[in-house]
Amino acid sequence: MLDLRIPSGYFFAITGIVLMALGILFPDDRAPLTPLNVNLYAGGVMLLFGAVLLLLARRKA
Amino acid sequence: MTLAPIDYAILALYFLFVLGIGWRLRARSSSSGDFLTGSHNLPVWITSLAFLAANLGAQEVIGMAASGAKYGIMTSHFYWIGAVPAMLFIGVFMMPFYYGSRARSVPEYLRLRFDEKTRGLNALTFAVMTIFSSGISMYALGILFEAVLGWSFTASVILSATIVLIYTYLGGLTSAIYNEVLQFFLIVLGFAPLAAMAVYKAGGWGGMQQRLPPVMTHSWKYLGDAHQNPMGVEIFGLVAGLGFVLSFGYWCTDFLVVQRAMAANSMAAARRTPLMAAFPKMVMPFIVILPGLAAVALANMSTGYSIPTKGDGLDYDKVLTSLMAQFYPSGMLGVGLTALMASFMSGMAGNVTAFNTVFTYDIYQSYIRKNAPDAHYLKVGRLTTFAGIALSIGAAYLAQSFNNIMDLLQLVFSFVNAPLFATFLLGMFWKRTTGHGAFVGLLAGTTTAALTHGLTIAEGKGGWIQPAFPFPSTMAQNFRIAICAWTACFLVTIVVSLATKAHPEESLRGLVYSLTDKISEAGVPFWKRPFPLAAMVIVVLIFLNVVFR
Repeated sequence: MLDLRIPSGYFFAITGIVLMALGILFPDDRAPLTPLNVNLYAGGVMLLFGAVLLLLARRKA
Repeated sequence: MTLAPIDYAILALYFLFVLGIGWRLRARSSSSGDFLTGSHNLPVWITSLAFLAANLGAQEVIGMAASGAKYGIMTSHFYWIGAVPAMLFIGVFMMPFYYGSRARSVPEYLRLRFDEKTRGLNALTFAVMTIFSSGISMYALGILFEAVLGWSFTASVILSATIVLIYTYLGGLTSAIYNEVLQFFLIVLGFAPLAAMAVYKAGGWGGMQQRLPPVMTHSWKYLGDAHQNPMGVEIFGLVAGLGFVLSFGYWCTDFLVVQRAMAANSMAAARRTPLMAAFPKMVMPFIVILPGLAAVALANMSTGYSIPTKGDGLDYDKVLTSLMAQFYPSGMLGVGLTALMASFMSGMAGNVTAFNTVFTYDIYQSYIRKNAPDAHYLKVGRLTTFAGIALSIGAAYLAQSFNNIMDLLQLVFSFVNAPLFATFLLGMFWKRTTGHGAFVGLLAGTTTAALTHGLTIAEGKGGWIQPAFPFPSTMAQNFRIAICAWTACFLVTIVVSLATKAHPEESLRGLVYSLTDKISEAGVPFWKRPFPLAAMVIVVLIFLNVVFR
């Protein structure tokens, strides 16, 4: 049966990469109330989460 | 709020994955059991996250932020007094009977334990309620997206309904549960950064305590007197009404959530499902309620942010989306919006799959066509998916045109639900309870709820018999109605049970506590046993209540 960690892992890894790319390509694109580069950091967390899920799925298989 | 193409791309990517999961699981649905119950095949980490996510609809996410902005940290009672103790109770005490009885649904358990009429009553009311609550949440999302993004009501309703339809039709309950877990991850990753940034900007918890009235940052301190807190409730009503009757009634008997635990791959996993879910559930207030408090604090600072308004009043339902616009740039905004859409779809898929199972097994197979081959029920289950979603869409439009009818329906449902837990409690723990007792008790409970509503008045609601007892808020009134309904059902069930013939003990094995073998836990490590897990949750729960007292 399909291991749910695989599609979830890919989804968050891809979304994380897209967000990090936005954060790097458009570092001046900031929201009104925060000085942070939200896309870069949130994307990093998502990429990490996705990678962990994929790693766990791979280790089991 | 305006979305960039990249935000739409993220939403589209998510839809692609959700549909892909449904597609990959399509081959698994070769029997009605696979499609409607998941054939008891899922590991505990999946069922426990789905147990949470099925309840974490868009209304919940938006409503909790709204309630946080309106009432403050007292909203946490819905989690720390409401949901979590009930989740522990079902995992430790009730799951052995649900799972052990091999019933395919909660109404079917009532059939095994009591009789046909009790099952029929529960199945029918549950089926109708499920459709309407699915429709009402669809309506809530439709008007929110219309107001915030300018999307047409019809477009957002049809789009989300179609996607839920496809993945549920393809993979049944397993597909719905898989997607609920993905949705849960997305809700956490999509909203946690917002909560963290909003709270940080508002000066952390310390800064929020300075900027907010003290009644908003204490959950217990102002509960002695209903007139001192904005919810208008006092300790007894809150603990007995919300903490006991309403939340045990929901988490321990509502098939929508119980179904997720029943899909687990073993008895041990089924019992651990709500217990493991209790850990993230305790943390959810920090993600869904704190942004509401932070929004009020930010509005009191010179940040340029203010709580959205509607007419003369404040529009708390838009608090969450207005914060997203302030803290998320294009990209992350798309993720936040996708998370909102995901929470909505998980709530809807939860309703639809629960409706499918109850309709197919407890209504169609029981009253319309018995003894057909399994392939026939699989087909009925699949077609019910269409019917369930079409009816939900109809209910959404009904809600759009006749708001009052929906309010009335929700009121009637609350009367039906309030006494339920008394029936299950007696049924599972007192072998003398009879089918007649349960049935009459339920009717008595619902009648009592209606009468209590007629005799009490709050914010102009109720009092249609005689407004004899005023309450400072409808919430306090609802808690009181629930307490009265529960008590009436409890007492009437006992009296009628004693007056009617007992069920033979042989027929109650595995269904009642005293007639079921105790589950051996020899050789199971302590962190996998229900009691130690529940004890750990209780320690954290007490700690949280003390910190935010």
